[in-house]
Amino acid sequence: MAADPALLEVQDLTVSFGKVRAVENVSLSVGQGRVYGLVGESGCGKSTLAYALLGLVAPPGRIVSGAVRFRGQDLARMSYRELRRLRARHIAVVFQAAMSAFNPVISIGAQVEHILDAHPGVYPSHQAGREYFEELLRLVRLRPEQVWRTYESRLSGGMKQRVAIAFALLLKPEVLVLDEPTTALDVLSQRLVIDIVRDLHQSLDTTVVFVTHDLAVVAELAERVAVMYAGRLVESGTVEEIFFDDRRHPYVKALISAMPSVAADPARLRPIPGQVPDLSALPPGCRFEPRCALAVPVCPLVEPELVVTASGHAVSCHVVNSGLGRDGGQ
Amino acid sequence: MSLLSVEHVSHRYQSARDDRPVLQDVSVEIESGQDLAVVGESGCGKTTLGRLIAGLTRPAAGTVSFDGADIWQLRGAQYREYRQSVQLVHQDPYGALNPGLTVAETLAGGLRHQHIVPRREVRDEVLRLLGLAGLDTSRAFLERYPHQLSGGQRQRLVIARAMALRPSLLVADEPVSMLDVSMRLSILDLLKSLGRSHGLTYLFISHDFGVVRYFAAGGRIMVMFFGVVVESGPVEEVIARPRHPYTFLLLDAIPEPDPRRARRRRSDATRIAAERIEAYPAGTGCVFANRCPFVRDRCRAERPPSLPVAGASGHWSACWYPEDVPSPLLPAGGAAEKAGSSSLSGSPVPPAGGGPAVQAVDLAARPAAGEVG
Repeated sequence: MAADPALLEVQDLTVSFGKVRAVENVSLSVGQGRVYGLVGESGCGKSTLAYALLGLVAPPGRIVSGAVRFRGQDLARMSYRELRRLRARHIAVVFQAAMSAFNPVISIGAQVEHILDAHPGVYPSHQAGREYFEELLRLVRLRPEQVWRTYESRLSGGMKQRVAIAFALLLKPEVLVLDEPTTALDVLSQRLVIDIVRDLHQSLDTTVVFVTHDLAVVAELAERVAVMYAGRLVESGTVEEIFFDDRRHPYVKALISAMPSVAADPARLRPIPGQVPDLSALPPGCRFEPRCALAVPVCPLVEPELVVTASGHAVSCHVVNSGLGRDGGQ
Repeated sequence: MSLLSVEHVSHRYQSARDDRPVLQDVSVEIESGQDLAVVGESGCGKTTLGRLIAGLTRPAAGTVSFDGADIWQLRGAQYREYRQSVQLVHQDPYGALNPGLTVAETLAGGLRHQHIVPRREVRDEVLRLLGLAGLDTSRAFLERYPHQLSGGQRQRLVIARAMALRPSLLVADEPVSMLDVSMRLSILDLLKSLGRSHGLTYLFISHDFGVVRYFAAGGRIMVMFFGVVVESGPVEEVIARPRHPYTFLLLDAIPEPDPRRARRRRSDATRIAAERIEAYPAGTGCVFANRCPFVRDRCRAERPPSLPVAGASGHWSACWYPEDVPSPLLPAGGAAEKAGSSSLSGSPVPPAGGGPAVQAVDLAARPAAGEVG
C-alpha cells in the first residue's frame, strides 16, 4: 500500500483567512486509485483542505505556506488555463450543496451539452459524450430517459446528489472530490450513495477523496483516512489503524466512542466534554487538550509533533507517542 | 389515561402539484413516563406529527387530546396549561432562537408571560435554568446574542427555554442532527437526565436508529412511511426483530461505524429496495408496495391493517406477510463476529427473549489491530 505513486500531494500546507488559520501545516498524500477520507467536525478545515486540492482557495483565504502537487506539479505555479484544464480533466468536485449545483431553468440534458461545449477535446463527438453520460447515469442507478429532459426541481435530494456525481465524472477525471456526499440525505439514500461511490471506484478506477463528519461513512468507504481537529491533522492512516490500532489520537478514540449506533452498546458510549476551540483564540499547545482525558502538563504548552511510523500511521499526541521515542519523525 | 393521544389524524398541506396526504389515519397514545420515538425518512410526516402534538398545526381530520380533552376545544386556563405542558425543541438551533434577544431575554420572556415565577425572581430563575442546561451563568454570558453562541450552546439554550415552562411532554424534533458529532451525545445525555429529574416524557423524532436506540432505550418506537404508521413496538424489540420490510430496510441500510462490519455484503433485499427508492407510494393496497422487495399480489390489492405481532406484546405491524421480514444483521456477539464476518444470510440476531436489552456487541473483544494491518 505504501508503494502507491502519489497522485496528489499536500505538503505542509497552511491556508489562512485573515488571522485565522483554517488549515495549518497539513501534509498528506493520496495514492492513485485510492479512496481517501477526510474527517472532522465543522470548522476543522476539512473542506478548505479539500478545495485546496483543486487549487480553489477563495479570497480572503490564501495559501500562506506549503504546496499542493498533482503528479508532482505545484498547483500554485499553474497558469489559469492549466488550472482550468486540471479541474476539468483531472480533478472533479461535487460540492456539499449538490442541491444547488444545477441551473434550475434548463434541463439536465442541456447542462450536459454545456459541459461538453466548454470542453471540446474530451470526446470525438457530442454523441459520444451523451452516450457516456447515459452510462454514468446507469452507474448511479438512474434511468437516462427519466433524467435527460427533466429539470432540477423535479429531482429529489438523493437523485440530485447522484446526478451531480454523474456530472462530475462526465469528463473522465482521475480524481473525484466529494464534499459531505451523504450529509442531509436520509438513510436509504445514504446507503445508495455509499454503494455507488464504491462501485464507481471499482469500475472506473477513479481516485476518490471525500470529506465527511460521519465516521460511519469513513468506515464504509475509505481505505486511508485523515482526521482533522481545529485546522490541524491529528491522525492519518489506514481505516483499520484509525478504528482499531492501539496507538490512536485521543480525539479519534473519543469520537468513535461518542457515536450512537444501533450496533454499539449504549452503555459504552461516552460524550466528549467541552467544545471545539475558537480558531481565532487557540491554545499554544495541543488543540484538543482542554477536552482530553489523557492530558499531561506538557500538553497545553507544547504543540505535539506528528509522529509517523514505518507503515505510514501518523498521530500527533504527546501522550500516545511517548512510548515511540522520536525515531518515527517526518 | 394517557398523557396525550392522537386519534385517527389525517393531514395534508395545500400544494398545487402534490396532493398527497402527509398523515393518513395516524393514532398514537403517549403514556406518561414512556418515551416514544418516531422514525422515518424525510417527508414521512414525522415533523408534522410533532407539530400537531405541540398544537402548532391543526389537523384536517381526527383529534389530538391532552389529559382527555381535545386541544382545539380548550379555552382559557386549560389551554394555557396545555401550551405550557407540551414544549418543542426544534431541529435547527440556529433558526429556533430570536437573533435580537440575549440569552437572558430568551429565557425571561416565557417566564414573565406565563407567570411561572414572581417578577422579582425571574433573574434567579434564568440562572437556575442556565445551570440546569449546563450553560455558563456569568453576567457576560447572559448578555450574549445567539450568533455569539456555538451550535451546542444554542441547543442547550433552546432546551432551557423549553424547560422554563415546566413541561410534562417535550417534543424533540431531531434535536441533535444539526450538531457536531462530538456534541451530540452530551445533548442527548442532557435531555435524558432532565427527563429523569423532572419526570418528562419525550416524543423523540429522528431518522437515526442509533440515536433512537441510545435515547429511547426502554421506550417505544413508531416507524412511519409516507404518513402511515407501518410498525410500532418496544425500541429494542423492533430493532432486533422488525416485522415490517420498511423497518428492516432502514436498519439494514445504516452505515456502520466499524470498517469490518461495514464492508460485508448487504442483503439483496436492500439492493432491490435501493433501485426502487424513487418509486411513488402506491395509491391502493399497501403504501409501501411499490418499494417493497418482498411484495406479493395481495399487497397491491388490499391495504394491510396494523395487527399485533404474534409472540410479542405491544409490537404492531401493518404488513400482510410479517414473517417474510428477515432479521437485520445487528451485532451477533464478539465470537461470532470474528468467526464469520463475511457470511451474511445465516446469522440472524440472537433472540432478545422478550427482555428489555438487545445483546450488546463487546467492543473490547475485538481482535487486536495487528491481525489486520
